[in-house]
Amino acid sequence: MASRSQPGGRAVTRAPRDIAHEGFLTHARSRWLKISLGLSALAIAVYVLTDPAPRPNGGSFAGYLLGTIGALMIVWLSLIGLRKRIITTKPFSLKAWTSAHVYLGLSLIVIGTLHTGFQLGWNVHSLSYVLMMIVIISGLYGIIVYARLPAQLSANRNEATQPQMLEAIRTLDRQLDTAAQPLDKASADLVRMSLEECEVSGNLWERLTGRHPKCGNKRARDAVQDIVSQQMRSGKPDPALTQILFLLERKDAALAQARRHIRMKTQLEIWLYIHVPVTMALLAALIAHILSVFLYW
Amino acid sequence: MSFVVRQISKRADGGDIIRTRTLEAPEITIGRGTDCDIQLPDLGVMLRHAKLTQLASGLVAIEATGGIPLEIAGKFLNRADLSVAETPEINIASHRLTLAPGEAPGAIAITAERVIAASDAADAAAETDIFSLRGAMPTKRTMAWALVALVFIIGLAWPLTEMIGRSPTLPADMVAAAARPANDGKGNKLTPALSAEAEAAHRGAFKPDVVWTSGPLSTAHAGLSRNCGSCHQQAFVATTDSSCVACHKPSVVPDHASAQRMAKGRLVPTGLGAAEAGIHNAFNLPEGRCASCHKEHEGPDGALMVAQSFCTDCHTGLSARLSDTKISNVSNWEDHPQFKATVVRAASATTPVFERVSLAGKASEQSGLLYPHDLHMSRTNSVANMVLKQGLPAKNGALSCNYCHTSDSDGVRFKPIEMEKACGACHDLAFAKDGPIVRTLPHGKPEQVAGIIRDFYLSQALSPRAGVQRLAFERRQPGRMAELELSGLRFASPAEARVRADAAIDSIFAKNGVCADCHVIRRTGASDAARRYEVAPVSLADHYLPKGRFPHNQHDSYDGKTGDAACVACHKGVPGSKASTDVLLPKVEQCRDCHGSPKVSTNVAASCNTCHGFHYGEGGQGGDYGPAKPKPATIAGAKAGKPGSGPALAGMPAGVASASGGAGAALARRFGG
Repeated sequence: MASRSQPGGRAVTRAPRDIAHEGFLTHARSRWLKISLGLSALAIAVYVLTDPAPRPNGGSFAGYLLGTIGALMIVWLSLIGLRKRIITTKPFSLKAWTSAHVYLGLSLIVIGTLHTGFQLGWNVHSLSYVLMMIVIISGLYGIIVYARLPAQLSANRNEATQPQMLEAIRTLDRQLDTAAQPLDKASADLVRMSLEECEVSGNLWERLTGRHPKCGNKRARDAVQDIVSQQMRSGKPDPALTQILFLLERKDAALAQARRHIRMKTQLEIWLYIHVPVTMALLAALIAHILSVFLYW
Repeated sequence: MSFVVRQISKRADGGDIIRTRTLEAPEITIGRGTDCDIQLPDLGVMLRHAKLTQLASGLVAIEATGGIPLEIAGKFLNRADLSVAETPEINIASHRLTLAPGEAPGAIAITAERVIAASDAADAAAETDIFSLRGAMPTKRTMAWALVALVFIIGLAWPLTEMIGRSPTLPADMVAAAARPANDGKGNKLTPALSAEAEAAHRGAFKPDVVWTSGPLSTAHAGLSRNCGSCHQQAFVATTDSSCVACHKPSVVPDHASAQRMAKGRLVPTGLGAAEAGIHNAFNLPEGRCASCHKEHEGPDGALMVAQSFCTDCHTGLSARLSDTKISNVSNWEDHPQFKATVVRAASATTPVFERVSLAGKASEQSGLLYPHDLHMSRTNSVANMVLKQGLPAKNGALSCNYCHTSDSDGVRFKPIEMEKACGACHDLAFAKDGPIVRTLPHGKPEQVAGIIRDFYLSQALSPRAGVQRLAFERRQPGRMAELELSGLRFASPAEARVRADAAIDSIFAKNGVCADCHVIRRTGASDAARRYEVAPVSLADHYLPKGRFPHNQHDSYDGKTGDAACVACHKGVPGSKASTDVLLPKVEQCRDCHGSPKVSTNVAASCNTCHGFHYGEGGQGGDYGPAKPKPATIAGAKAGKPGSGPALAGMPAGVASASGGAGAALARRFGG
């Protein structure tokens, strides 16, 4: 329904909207992809058609041209940090801006590399290039995880919120604490291991991999499992310990879910911890690069 | 005898809940077990952890019953007697028991409370720390500032301190090395000036501004790698020629041509090229600077890697812009004009005339010498016999090229030909034997010859000595150097000796005499024998193509051939050449067989500087014997009738043949007098 009558007889026309979701990658029929491919082709043409002597480098005519284009692009690309904080549809929608950001950023691989003339060394010029490539590759990684992980994240969450995940673990901790009160010291110590030596998140590596080899809960569960198995072979197991084992296993499952969540969220976030600071470092290196070229012209 | 137990637990909102009980017993138990008098819900506490016994009024004993020592006043004890008046504290896991005198007489108050909070108090802030990277990493902003600061310090501030505070000095031995001629004629080419050690010494300590380098310096300049200021003298001003000429003096590296002629000859760019030139000029980077061609920071060979296009930029259609130029237009190697050899047009003892002649047609020259190459390279004639008998270097009797044409010290070209060395083995000028001493006529001094012969005959007439023999130059068996005794060397009078002497002189200079083998002799008609004959002067070109370099030693083997075969592979006309007027140089097409031809697999270099040099001065000849010294061919010749004026026959080029067809027969002849 394109329009409807309002009280007072005024007809309000809704803005036409796409029904299907269109991501930033395919925005406007991949307009920016085409523009970037064209730009890259142009850069390659300039590189191939000019024949600087004795060999191509940043100081030739084509080198200065590509360098100027590249530097202006880098400055514009870094402005997305400002643009995304301003909510507006003009002059570009944020989606259009993001689309351009991604594709123009990727075309910098071609423009930047040709600007170097394939000459790299231990100097401030190559530093700029390396930082630029780190930014681009981290951004590429960001696009890949943004395309793949949200669906997995949602499936893993299974309608539970983050506080609910934590609360489930805390509840199990309280139950364990209570259930362990009548136990002897050895068994109580095992439960303490689960309560006190078990971190949900961990350090950066544990977050990225989701692997917690020293997890106290896991060790406690394995130990209690051994005791219970032994008791089962020799007769009737201690019901209190069986109860503890049941709780430890439930906690293990709750931890696994939370940690999968953390792993995917970390993977979704980590690239920005590289992309953004290295972009700033790149802008600094660009200033040093350009300034030093003309200081020692 | 009572214990008043006050157990304090925390409420969720932070308040305390205090439960007080009074236990009438001399002994109470403490532990996690539900049967204990004081129950502590703490998994760190044993089921039966300790026992408290009242010993006397105000004195209690505490004893660990669970096997874990108790912490009392910082010590871990299994048993202790405690005075209640001192309000002792006992730590058990996360709990603390404090003893104090009770209100009732003899009663002991025990306060039990948790002093280490249970570990389940996670709040909203903890959630963010757990689920976002904020808990594991510094913030993006912190990292950004840190990296920016690091980059600015290393990449800008630190090098700037070096740039501002420096006072560069040029290494003296590098300056001295740069003052050496590019090629001193002794084979010393312009090579890296310094030893590796000296270079390392110049590099010196690390300088922070090397992070600004755009690439490694060329080998010759490597010693300046940490001396940026020696070239980059002024901020925001491109390296100027003055930096270069500080070491490379114009006397050593002369200009190609005057700046004014160079500017006039340069192609005026159009279109994009014009825009580029405009930008260059706007930034004070005009064409014609040293750095227009010599780009530094391009690796070991960088500064000397000059593109061919730099040459053809001007030499393509040069005549249209520089109408008075004598140089042919060249746009590339494929249309390089035919070689123009510098040949002798008129031989002279003092002022030979040279001329540049294109090799396109059949070029000829007038060196004044008679020398048929074909006779000397035959395998079957009398020359071949002579060569074999004397054991001269030859292949099947054909005299080797390098018997006469010996390479110079750097192997690029050839030493001047000396008559005595090159020709003397057969064309021997011995005329008499005085005991063991062989008397020889001086070569190149015809005016001396008449006197020597006359004196010889007269001395024999006035005071005849035994053992003196006159040797005949007449025909003899090849290889037989045996002297011929003349029985008739006895004279009735000095007058007769004089007549015989004149006859001998006539026969030496006669048409079929020994001189005429190689020289053109003219009779002047003078009555005095010393002035009667004039030997035509001989001038030999010693460098036919002086504007280029052709390193012969790099062509020792050619097309799978070596030795003489390699020589005649290019100098094709030599074995069949009957006259020294032939110019026996290969044409430019010969070079293209290997150089720059897409048709051959050995497609070797064919850029302009393979043969030519830029800084050779306006004559283009500086590459041979030092800088800018136009060097005409060596002059050699002798003129009869001008006493003392004739230098010895000195130079002989590759490919000079006899002008006289008939002279060949005279080779195996000696003439007598």
